[in-house]
Amino acid sequence: MVSPAIALAFLPLVVTLIIRYRYYFVLFYRAFLVRVWQDCATGLSREERAFQYVLTNATPGDPDSILEAFDQWCSKVEFISNIGPKKGKILDRLLMEQSPMTVLELGAHCGYSAVRMARCLPLGARLYSVEMDQRNATIAEKVIRLAGFDDDTVELIVSPSDEVIPRLRSDYGLETVDFVFMDHWKKCYLPDLQLLEGSGLLGKGSMILADNVLFPGAPNFLRYVRKSGLYEWRIHQATLEYIRGIRDGMAELVYQGIK
Amino acid sequence: MTKCGVSVLTTGDEDEVSSCYEEHEWGKNRVKGREKEREKKKRGNARKKGASRAGRGDEELEERAERGEKGRRRRKRDNHDGKGRERDEEEQAEEKSGRAQEERDTEEGDAKRKKKNESAKREEKKEDGGKRAVKEKANAVKTKKHKKKSSEEEDVEEEEEEEKEKELRPESLSPEELEKLKEAVDEKKKLIQTLRGKPWPMKKKLSTLRESQEFLEKYEGALGKGKGRRLYAYKVMMTKKWMKFQRDFENFKTACIPWEMKIKEIESHFGSSVASYFIFLRWMYGINMILFGLTFGLVMVPEALMGRPYGSMPRKTVPRADEASAMDFAVLWDFGGYAQYSVLFYGYYNNQRAIGWLKFRMPLSYFLVGVGTVAYSYMVVIRTMARNANESGGGDDNSFNFSWKMFTSWDYLIGNPETADNKFASITTSFKEAILEEQESRKDDNIHLTRFLRVLANFLVMCCLAGSGYLIYFVVRRSQKFALDGLDNHSWWERNEVNMVMSLLGMFCPMLFDVISTLENYHPRIALQWQLGRIFALFLGNLYTFIIALMDEINLKRKEEEIVKFNMTVWEASLYNGTVPENSTAPPVTIHPADVPRGPCWETMVGQEFVRLIISDTMTTYITLLIGDFLRAVLVRFLNYCWCWDLEAGFPSYSEFDVSGNVLGLIFNQGMIWMGAFYAPCLPALNVLRLHVSMYLQCWAVMCCNVPQERVFKASGSNNFYMAMLLVILFLSTLPAIYTIVTIPPSFDCGPFSGKSRMFDVIQETLESDFPAWFSKVFSYASNPGLVLPFLLLMVLAIYYLQSTSKSFKEANVELKKKLQMARKAMTQAAEQQSNNNASPQAQKGEARSFLWWSEIGSSGIHGKKKKKKETFRALCKDLNVLL
Repeated sequence: MVSPAIALAFLPLVVTLIIRYRYYFVLFYRAFLVRVWQDCATGLSREERAFQYVLTNATPGDPDSILEAFDQWCSKVEFISNIGPKKGKILDRLLMEQSPMTVLELGAHCGYSAVRMARCLPLGARLYSVEMDQRNATIAEKVIRLAGFDDDTVELIVSPSDEVIPRLRSDYGLETVDFVFMDHWKKCYLPDLQLLEGSGLLGKGSMILADNVLFPGAPNFLRYVRKSGLYEWRIHQATLEYIRGIRDGMAELVYQGIK
Repeated sequence: MTKCGVSVLTTGDEDEVSSCYEEHEWGKNRVKGREKEREKKKRGNARKKGASRAGRGDEELEERAERGEKGRRRRKRDNHDGKGRERDEEEQAEEKSGRAQEERDTEEGDAKRKKKNESAKREEKKEDGGKRAVKEKANAVKTKKHKKKSSEEEDVEEEEEEEKEKELRPESLSPEELEKLKEAVDEKKKLIQTLRGKPWPMKKKLSTLRESQEFLEKYEGALGKGKGRRLYAYKVMMTKKWMKFQRDFENFKTACIPWEMKIKEIESHFGSSVASYFIFLRWMYGINMILFGLTFGLVMVPEALMGRPYGSMPRKTVPRADEASAMDFAVLWDFGGYAQYSVLFYGYYNNQRAIGWLKFRMPLSYFLVGVGTVAYSYMVVIRTMARNANESGGGDDNSFNFSWKMFTSWDYLIGNPETADNKFASITTSFKEAILEEQESRKDDNIHLTRFLRVLANFLVMCCLAGSGYLIYFVVRRSQKFALDGLDNHSWWERNEVNMVMSLLGMFCPMLFDVISTLENYHPRIALQWQLGRIFALFLGNLYTFIIALMDEINLKRKEEEIVKFNMTVWEASLYNGTVPENSTAPPVTIHPADVPRGPCWETMVGQEFVRLIISDTMTTYITLLIGDFLRAVLVRFLNYCWCWDLEAGFPSYSEFDVSGNVLGLIFNQGMIWMGAFYAPCLPALNVLRLHVSMYLQCWAVMCCNVPQERVFKASGSNNFYMAMLLVILFLSTLPAIYTIVTIPPSFDCGPFSGKSRMFDVIQETLESDFPAWFSKVFSYASNPGLVLPFLLLMVLAIYYLQSTSKSFKEANVELKKKLQMARKAMTQAAEQQSNNNASPQAQKGEARSFLWWSEIGSSGIHGKKKKKKETFRALCKDLNVLL
């Protein structure tokens, strides 16, 4: 029988762990426990709930109000790992600077980032948004249309990214992609990047922006980028969306081509 | 020779002729040189092509680059300063870099080149070349250069054969030539000495150095005449050998320093702050070795060899009741049983005045060793502190903040890319921070919040300390209750509760402090000191609670002793009462020593407690190391393949090496040794063992499972901080030891001082019986208060005097420093004026300043206050004064 005094001596450890990792506990609570509870209570998926909120609170045809409604829901009600307003600003800035004509988005989720990107694109530019999950894709479709972007501006492709990328040139008639935004499964970052390289879609100066490279993190991706020498790269330090204390970053790569 | 001529023709340069000609006279190729040339042959060939084309192409029609090359080559030949033929690599590098230089070259050598390239003016040139040849004959340096030049453009194979015959024969030289040679050698020597100060690029310096050294090697031995020359050569050779030997010996000495290479490697990976811990550990090991030598050589070994053997006396025998379990591992692990009744503990020693054929004064030796270890420790710690203080006295960190940062922030011992990255990042951030600090030194709007947070943090820490103190107190009281009940009725957990709780608190509370200290937002160096102070307080509180508990226990034991003493007399009386009536002449009853009743012997109890504490502490350290570092590293490393987030970069990550906690652990461990060593002579030995193992274990753990700290910082200043803490601990740990020695009478039936009223009576006893009468008289006179008090007074006065003189010296130092600054300022002002007059020599300086100024303005432009700008500019100028 362990004496209570010894158990009490572990108290500082517990307190330390709680204080040090408090944000992770908050994240766990908001992203997992609340979600499971709400799933059981409402019978809707998380994305559908978010869409309902947006539908009731946002002005149709106004992308900014839709984004705001999403931010509101994600920070106050539940948690969805959208790109968030802070990192979104970086994304906006890069898009403004780059003004790409062809944009590929991997992982549309519920359309937040697609709307965010589409509103910053120059006239005549086209955004190809890839989403694997059918249910999410329908919601993303609805959100995008709600924001007032038609089929010419945003094209949603419902398929896994590793199947879409090789077919982009043949099926969608793309020559090069100017801007790629990655926000899907972190494990797929590296294979998809290699697929993009292999298919020759990347031209000199094409920019690739990968979200969440520090948390949850894509170490293999970063290691490859560092070593390959094909890219000029930098990491934008930020925090995880809607949660303050967790450090995260976006990797910005500019394809230099083989010298 | 013919080939040489050919090459001359192709390049159209007459100089070559003269140099080739000279080769016959001076030829001094060694095998090494020839090999080099063979290597160069290919390059030479390539150049030949270019050169021949140039010859064909003629005059200024050549390609610009080639012209530049040629021009440079010629210029070199024209140059008579002899400061080194630049090497081919350098030439190529220059070609890459220096377009501008090429232009200069072409301009400079334009006239000459044109002259040379035109065949009409060949005659003139010949004359020129001839003159030059004469000159060069006098000067050995040029000879070499020219030979090299020509041989580059020659077919080497033939040259080799030729040169076999041409050996340098100094005897054949005329006296003037020798003189010249000597001069050249002297010049080279001077050059080597002053090379460091020359404003040349490093590459040029290196090549020049190498060349001059080669030259010296070649010609130094050739100087002097006849026998003298040989002697001189011999001398030079011997000096070189001697220097080499010295160097090797230095290396050997470094190799002999224990763990030096290990520590250097760690330093290269983790920076000097982690390495300072290991250096401290090594230093501690050295001290413990000496303590161990003293106790082992003067106490344990004599007792084991010459004292009465085990089983001869009650104090040297395991009592009858414990005999059955005396050899059990659990008992031995608790240092009971046979371990308790051995030389390891105080109680085993006999109070016999002199033992063995050496008449070794055991009790006296025991006492003196106890005092001597403490005295030695004091001496060493204070001496080291003084030495460190001397070393660190030089710098003042407050003025010239940026210069200090600029020139001293790099840790040159770092040899690991990751650490270098971290260091680089930390330097950049420190620069940013420093600039921000400069800019916002006055307006600190959030000072109240910071103050509040700091106070809050300290409050939390105090709460934590109080809590841990109370927990230990509670546990100790409980353990006394358990002890009264009898230990066998309780589980292992309950018996070891005190040690466990102390170790756990010592392990976890620092982590909590660390978390709390993030509130305060200090610079890491200051944060480290706060952290050290807090852990210090925690450990000290724990230790003193433990000691107070021990004191209580000592008092209990002494009460028990009284009872035992009384019982003893009763028992003895009964023994004699039982035997005496039978037969008065019968031999006295022999009782086996194991059966004799004995006192509790509080000294051994104290020793045991300390040994147990040390053991449990060591165990916790090692187990923490294995679980907290190693297991964590393994899990992070291998679970990362199949985990949903990045374990290495994110949440658990690898652990960092905790310098403050480890240093304090070491210091307090040492404090326990000092406290307990008097009652358990085995403690220094145990500690040596522990330090030895932990040296290897921690070195391994650091290299294998830790990552460099994110903010690497230098720890050079903290060494004295550690020492100061060690001194405090030394004092605090000797305090209870001395208190017990002086105030509590020793046990009546165990230990070297049994039977005396106080332990230090052994000194008096020795004085009375071992020294002549006059000595004890003198001693008694010397020790009376009338003499001691004035002596103490004198000492206090001396200390006061020394301190005040040192203070005045310090002030003088500060004054001198100020004067130096003034002088510097005056000088730079003068220089500025000069620079206003003639801009060109000072242009670079001005440029640097203006650049810095503009960059500063750029950085402060955001905050955009003119006044501030001026201030920063002034500060910058101050810094620049130091730079320039």
